[in-house]
Amino acid sequence: MDGKVIVVTSGKGGVGKTTVTAAIGAAMAMQGKRVAVVDMDIGLRNLDVVMGLENRIVFNIVDVIQGKCKIKQAAVKDRRIDNLFLIPASQSHEKNVIRPENMIWLAGKLRKEFDFTFLDCPAGIEQGFKNSIAAADEAIVVCTPEVSSVRDADRVIGLLYARSIKPRLIINRIVPKMVENGDMLSHEDVLDVLSVDLLGLVVMDDKVVVSTNTGTPLVMQKDSAAGSAFQRIGLRLDGHPDLPIENPMGQKGFWKKLGAKFSRKN
Amino acid sequence: MKDTENQPVKLKGVGDSLHVAIDPTQSIDTLRQSLSRTFERLKHLAINAKVIIDPGEDADCDGLIDELGQFLKDTFAVGMVSKPQPRKRSDNQERIREQDIGNEWHHYRSEALIIAGRVRSGLNIRAKNHLVILGDLNPGAEVYAGGDILVMGSLLGKAAAGQPDNETAIVMALEFKPTQIQIGGLVAAGITESGASRPEFAYVENNEIVVDDYVKGNPFRQLGWPEVR
Repeated sequence: MDGKVIVVTSGKGGVGKTTVTAAIGAAMAMQGKRVAVVDMDIGLRNLDVVMGLENRIVFNIVDVIQGKCKIKQAAVKDRRIDNLFLIPASQSHEKNVIRPENMIWLAGKLRKEFDFTFLDCPAGIEQGFKNSIAAADEAIVVCTPEVSSVRDADRVIGLLYARSIKPRLIINRIVPKMVENGDMLSHEDVLDVLSVDLLGLVVMDDKVVVSTNTGTPLVMQKDSAAGSAFQRIGLRLDGHPDLPIENPMGQKGFWKKLGAKFSRKN
Repeated sequence: MKDTENQPVKLKGVGDSLHVAIDPTQSIDTLRQSLSRTFERLKHLAINAKVIIDPGEDADCDGLIDELGQFLKDTFAVGMVSKPQPRKRSDNQERIREQDIGNEWHHYRSEALIIAGRVRSGLNIRAKNHLVILGDLNPGAEVYAGGDILVMGSLLGKAAAGQPDNETAIVMALEFKPTQIQIGGLVAAGITESGASRPEFAYVENNEIVVDDYVKGNPFRQLGWPEVR
């Protein structure tokens, strides 16, 4: 059976595409799936650093497309997680060395080798984006609860719909306290504007910085709120689509409402 | 954009005379004050001008018109003050109405572009005439129409009605929070503060884009006969 190719995109830069790709990839590999994560940011690669694999790279995606090596030679196996492979980007080329038709060919090969392939799309909607979505079966759109990020995500969602790819949304870096004080958009506000299926809500977590700097998978860190959110997203992508999405506002909202009810009576 | 609610006196130039619409439910002192404010701005233009005072449809306010007329003559030296002439329908208009009622408006073809769904950031829609959106218009989206723009949902993006030069066009939305509005050649920046979400519409008055509550200020309510727009 053929695997799935899923593009992770956002439009805006710096919202956490690479972190999301690495974390979901690791989570699904730990669930026993054969997973490849592909860095599509030709010229500005950093998925290898986030995964702690930068010193093992021999070949890259451009070499595969130019026929200099096989996919198996370019795929770098993760140090800690079996079944997780990275196909790195080239650091010395420009984005237009790859064409959408090259990606369609590559995706065909990847579907045969892996159960899930995640494409880490570069920011923007130019060549790198067009290459990434050309061969994707599904799309994950990452946005943060900021007006600018929502605006760009909206544009990208429009472009994905135009290619008949139905996107699902991950809202990243939610700070429940700021939402509570009205200083940050709530996930309901974001969904009001974007109106797409929600795949997961991820809270702001300091452990993400530690994880990306040291190259240790976030989902392997204990007590990481973001890590466990990504694990649940992984389950939702494979076999458990109805796993409930935890509200990051959590119990607090419940107690607050209850408190308000009591105080009204008194 | 400015709000027009509770404006007891509205002035516009019609032909060679000044047409003053007044709200007869206000007290005479309020009306006098508003008239003073309006006419002071006209300065010498008011002298010897023909003024028509229009209390609206329902009112029988000859006394009020006489009193205000005398006040304008004394204070601003206007020429003639009269009440509006009962409008006479032309034969042509009468013929059109007969035809409408006989054919139940079947002889008109709709010129509106009606779109269902969400108009997302980066999308541009251009309609030759009127544009109806059954859905929301997101921030970053832009729509242009030769006639009116009606959004049956939230208007959060940019809407340009009456392009290029039709200033009688309106922009209406159930939730009116646009980034920018254009009507004809006029431009107005959106209001950022979030008010109550109620149906509102923008139209042009005195060379300015004005926003008003649609339910209260419905501009078509006064039309005695349903017209094709």
